[in-house]
Amino acid sequence: MRKLKLFLGPQHPGMHGNAAIHMYVEGDIIKKSYLLPGMLHRGFEKGMERHSFVNNISLIPRVCVVEPDINELAFAMAVEKLADLKVPERAEWIRMIIMELARISIHLMAYGGLGGPTGNYTLMYHAHADRNTILGFFERITGHRVYHQYIVPGGVRKDLPNDGIEADILDFLTDLENRYDEYRDLGIENPTLLARIKDTILLPEEVVWELGVTGIGMRSAVNKPYDIRKKMPYCKYDEVEFNVPVSNYSDARSRVDLKLKEVVQSIRIIRQCIDKMPEGKVRVPIAQGQSMRWTVPKGHVYSVVESSRGEFGYYMVSNGGTHPYRVGVRGASYPQGLLGIEKYMPGTRIDDAALWVDTMGVCSPEIDR
Amino acid sequence: MNSMNNVTTIKELVTKKITVLKEEVIDQYQVSFEVKKDDVHHLLSVLKQAGWRQLSYLSAVDWIEDNEFELVYIVFNWEKPVHIQIRCRIDRNAPTMDTILPIYPGAKYYEREAHEFFGIAFPGNDSHEKQLILENWDDIPPLRKDFDPKAYSDARFPKREYSNDHVEMNGQKESKQAKREERRTHILDLIKGGKK
Repeated sequence: MRKLKLFLGPQHPGMHGNAAIHMYVEGDIIKKSYLLPGMLHRGFEKGMERHSFVNNISLIPRVCVVEPDINELAFAMAVEKLADLKVPERAEWIRMIIMELARISIHLMAYGGLGGPTGNYTLMYHAHADRNTILGFFERITGHRVYHQYIVPGGVRKDLPNDGIEADILDFLTDLENRYDEYRDLGIENPTLLARIKDTILLPEEVVWELGVTGIGMRSAVNKPYDIRKKMPYCKYDEVEFNVPVSNYSDARSRVDLKLKEVVQSIRIIRQCIDKMPEGKVRVPIAQGQSMRWTVPKGHVYSVVESSRGEFGYYMVSNGGTHPYRVGVRGASYPQGLLGIEKYMPGTRIDDAALWVDTMGVCSPEIDR
Repeated sequence: MNSMNNVTTIKELVTKKITVLKEEVIDQYQVSFEVKKDDVHHLLSVLKQAGWRQLSYLSAVDWIEDNEFELVYIVFNWEKPVHIQIRCRIDRNAPTMDTILPIYPGAKYYEREAHEFFGIAFPGNDSHEKQLILENWDDIPPLRKDFDPKAYSDARFPKREYSNDHVEMNGQKESKQAKREERRTHILDLIKGGKK
């Protein structure tokens, strides 16, 4: 049979972000594939070394386009660990609200993104409409829709606005919860979609350990609640109640299923946050004096956050100066995005390649950074 | 309390097996060890045996003043949630480090990236010299401290000439403001019944 080379991306409805997958196919079976990153490389790690800790606040959200808040929190936590700083309590709760709203919005976007490669556009429109509402909340809280620059070292940039935003968020969450079954019917209970996602793109437990996949991919395969929020709680995750959905059989459907179940848990967390949030200060300076001359003590730290795709970390080295000496970003989709595509995508069909990328949660900006 | 026990267990485990140059407990979920270059593989296999099955991060830091690179390996265990940083210094002039692929197969692309951005060779990893992110790169590896992005871009790309016609508000060139002024006097003249 004739061997062909095909490209998925960088411009393709099923490809997320600017990266290309080179596939060698025979018939419609992929025989060899690899990811070609680098189209979005903007030299962030070098850029962070060349900006002060405060200047970096405007740079870090841009590392991951659709989910910027994890970057802000991981960066802020790294600086706080180095400076041995205690964040005001209200700021911790606000951070959690932001993180969980972001998690809902990214899960909805990924769920809606399933509509692209499978031709189910109703799902995509519904999910994006809801994501848009969440972006509206972000705009009211932070002033920005996508890159918020809101979580800063030492707290959050400003307090929640005094215009009843809490009540509006709660209304929206109730509304979303009421439409949960509808969402399931549109997507993963829908027979046309089920035929595409059930029992395809398997991720066995050995592969998880071999590649180092984290997040939903890992939890769907190993059947254990391996979630950073539970295992090493940051912010106030140890003071709220939530479950970590797991499964012991990881196909495309079960991973999408876990995403939807996580949305329900995030809704639970936000309700508790709004309920328990105390009044008070929301920001402390990380050092004395003028902000452009703030210095951070020497040290090497690695701070992690549970993102929608898994363990997302910042490795930060400070030399005791105003600028970080080295910042390294551990993208959550690095293992499955590079080694996973090279090793485990061969064998699937061409039309499943886009679903592979979508359900494994590959985000190209955090591979390039 | 339980997690602080984990840190103590790790310290015992590690110091029993190899000589640690420097250790630091960052918090109850993180501990770091500075070791000699030759001990890294032994230590990593010991830790993998003990449950640290996940390689979270691998990269390097350039200490140009000491003329050394510092390699960083971060491993994680989900049952005893502690991140362990393992750091070792290698010579900066001929940076080589044997691959850790037999221990952690997931390191393949991390090593490739470290080669591309720092120029560290990883013998044993066949693909470490392949191009990954930077296309047709023709300078020293960019994350080294002596690489200057500004000098690179000045040398590679033509300097852009900016025209400044947008600031000529009151110059000889007719600007929007002058036009507006003219229209205003014209209208005022019309109210008064035209120019006298």
